[in-house]
Amino acid sequence: MPPDSSNPKPKLKLAVYWGAACGGCCVSVLDTHEKLLDIVAAADLVFWPIAMDIKYKDVEAMPDKSIDVTLFNGAIRNSENKHIAQLLRSKTKILVAYGSCAYMGGIPGLANFTDREGIFRRVYEESESTLNPDKVRPQTETMVKEGKLEIPEMFNDVYTLNQVVDVDYFIPGCPPQSERLIEVFTAIATGAELPPKGSVVGANEKTNCDECKRKKSDNKVIKKFYRPWEIQDDKETCFLEQGVICMGPATRGGCGVRCVSGNSPCRGCYGPPATASDPGAKMMSAIGTMIDADTPEEIDKIIDTIVDPAGLFYRFSLPSSILGRKII
Amino acid sequence: MEEPRIGVYICHCGTNIAKMVDVEAVAAEVGKLPNVVLAKTYKYMCSDPGQELIIKDIRGHRLNRVIVAACSPRIHELTFRTAVEKAGINPYLFEMANIREQDSWVHTDRVEATAKAIDLVIAAIHRVRYHEPLAKRSVNVDPATLIIGGGISGMVAALEIANAGKKVYLIEKSDHLGGHVARFDLTFPHLSSAKQMIRPILQRVENHPNIDVFKKSVIKNVTGYIGNFKAVVENGVPDPLELTFGNIIAATGLKPFDPSKIEEYGYGKFPDVVTSMEFEEMLSAGKVMTRYGKEPRNIAIIHCVGSRSKKYHEYCSRTCCMVALKFVNQIRAGLPDCNIFEIYADMRAYGKGCEEFYAESTHRQIIFLMFDQQEKLPLIKEAERNDECNMLIELDEKLSGETVEIPADMVVLMVNMEAHEDVKEVVHAIGVSLCGNQFFIEKHPKLDPVATTTGGVYIVGTCQGPKDIPDSVAQARAAAARILATIAQGSVAVEVTTASVNEAMCCGCQTCIRVCPYSAVSYNEEKKSSEVNEVLCKGCGTCGSACPSGAISTKHFTDRQILAEIEGIMSMSYKEI
Repeated sequence: MPPDSSNPKPKLKLAVYWGAACGGCCVSVLDTHEKLLDIVAAADLVFWPIAMDIKYKDVEAMPDKSIDVTLFNGAIRNSENKHIAQLLRSKTKILVAYGSCAYMGGIPGLANFTDREGIFRRVYEESESTLNPDKVRPQTETMVKEGKLEIPEMFNDVYTLNQVVDVDYFIPGCPPQSERLIEVFTAIATGAELPPKGSVVGANEKTNCDECKRKKSDNKVIKKFYRPWEIQDDKETCFLEQGVICMGPATRGGCGVRCVSGNSPCRGCYGPPATASDPGAKMMSAIGTMIDADTPEEIDKIIDTIVDPAGLFYRFSLPSSILGRKII
Repeated sequence: MEEPRIGVYICHCGTNIAKMVDVEAVAAEVGKLPNVVLAKTYKYMCSDPGQELIIKDIRGHRLNRVIVAACSPRIHELTFRTAVEKAGINPYLFEMANIREQDSWVHTDRVEATAKAIDLVIAAIHRVRYHEPLAKRSVNVDPATLIIGGGISGMVAALEIANAGKKVYLIEKSDHLGGHVARFDLTFPHLSSAKQMIRPILQRVENHPNIDVFKKSVIKNVTGYIGNFKAVVENGVPDPLELTFGNIIAATGLKPFDPSKIEEYGYGKFPDVVTSMEFEEMLSAGKVMTRYGKEPRNIAIIHCVGSRSKKYHEYCSRTCCMVALKFVNQIRAGLPDCNIFEIYADMRAYGKGCEEFYAESTHRQIIFLMFDQQEKLPLIKEAERNDECNMLIELDEKLSGETVEIPADMVVLMVNMEAHEDVKEVVHAIGVSLCGNQFFIEKHPKLDPVATTTGGVYIVGTCQGPKDIPDSVAQARAAAARILATIAQGSVAVEVTTASVNEAMCCGCQTCIRVCPYSAVSYNEEKKSSEVNEVLCKGCGTCGSACPSGAISTKHFTDRQILAEIEGIMSMSYKEI
């Protein structure tokens, strides 16, 4: 529990920042609802762009290691993300990669299936709604009569936070469950003994599949893969046994099996358990054994029923995977 | 983990490696790497002085990891594991880099081959640091043996084992022992009597105190593993008998090809077109006659029926050419005036005394006619009323290049020998694989021809592929010797590099259950976890790669070890991607 006013312990200094993110992680902090009041009772929020007007120069002015905990969400996509990551690293005692993007690259990390040129070409030239006869592309520097304008440089690759700076802990999730955040925050605030550096916290050791209440058997024999809307889910049999790809067995528990409880297969946002370094590879390997075919042609036919396999198996983990990116 | 102290040895393999790989350069390069205490080259690492070198260095330099870069681990991994064990290191702390088969033998550029050798050794260096010591394991062997099939192979194996004082259960699905050989009249190439040969064997098997013969019986529900199998014998009695045994010999034989599938030969349509097995029975009975009870004046023998053909079976049945020559000798002896036509595709007369037998047979006034079975098969037609024979065989004679018509009162089809259809049930029961032609697959085609990949299961005789009596008997005796050796030992070493389940991480998805080819993985409902029976497990790694949670790993082939190997091999040449 957060210390009350009688506790002489000084309040923690807390920062929340977003890199390449959708904003969901920041909302998950707000989703602590009334517990947010406990958090602010125990901690001063010194930097949180979504909620507070504090400038980068204010952060630059802070002494090194003066922030106790930074929850850094979002991937590293451009020079601004990287700069602030490095800045916050030097100002922070405990840097937490918060959410799947900071942890594994997340949804923005799927951009590693293409490259900067591919993205710019699509967005600034080819997209149906683009009118750009001069093929103008974003410039990091533009001279206007008031002076030089600068915008961050977009990188060719998307990186995870710990590919750019040293990270103390990882909290997975897209977004992390607010309950898990409260548990972690409470542990830090009460001075509980913290796990070893580099640990994944706010999540379980075992997989989502382990917690799942659906009926499981060895009957994983697949003739055709279905997307969830293509089948009449019986609401009780393992999704894989119904031909729907579920990432549950290759994904850490901690979310409370929320997607499957809502009759939707697990998408893998909590990342792999410690025993599976590359969940996309693990799951593809597992799925490969379930295909029920007698000929190579039949195997191809069945695999063709998996829509967007790269995006499916590596939805949250591409930059952190063994693949890292597509070689272009 | 103790700090690795790695010794690396690069083998010249005479000139096999050294002529294409600069072994000194490899040693110099890998010698610079962290944890590599020494890197040496030697002319023949597998020789006694080569092994001594390793043993001396382990003791002198306190090495705790050893790498030998030489030939394929299939050849000498065991040699070096034994050597390091002698020096007091666990044999699994050894790793082999194959720079011969995978490098010097297949490349022609010495510079690039040397670079590749360096990469392969670096991969081994990265891997070996993650190696863990593994303990040897063994299981006791039940001295009884189950033999499936009472043909010549099964009987010979049974006698060999029973004569050594060990129990044999011999299962035969028909009502008599002897298999195909019991139906033969004479054997090739000496034209000696098959019956005289097999009768004493039959009697000895039937009366042997150590052999229990089960006729009209099939084996069901085989469970267990090497040394400790269990099965049920089903033979119609209400209480099926349960047997326990330590080893299995499959001697299930084969069956003749059904030639009615080949339209040109009119088998089934012409009553005097008979198969070689049917003709064998006529000879046995001493009555070679047409359907109308007449002595045939013209007999044609057609070879390769269903053999060596893309349409039926691509393989050669191996024995039919010699059986055909045996037939012509028998026909000539019994019907001195009969015209005999040998219609062959190629004459295959390998085997002791067989070429001589062929040469002799050509003096029996036989007309040899060759056909090209890839092009056009001979066509059997009904003869006209005024022809002095029952049938005519139209044939493109290959050597003369002419189309000829051959008269025939009887045609003998030398049918292919093919696998039994019901072999799949036996296969499923005993866990042996089949080749594309549905014959059982041996463990190694050259070096381990009677064992299978399932420990304690052996294959002998024609269930492994067509063969003649001497080859079948040799296999039967070989399998018996192998089994007697394990019985004499009392226990047998089982695979150490097995899969194991981290029960704390298993989520019970059961992806692993069906993928195991050895039925070694099962699901424990109580623990909610999969389990690997380490005695059944062969360490193939299939369950480990199928496990999406990373809860199963195969000892000596962990993800960490394999990734380290990949990281090692990618660390030099492919740095820039």
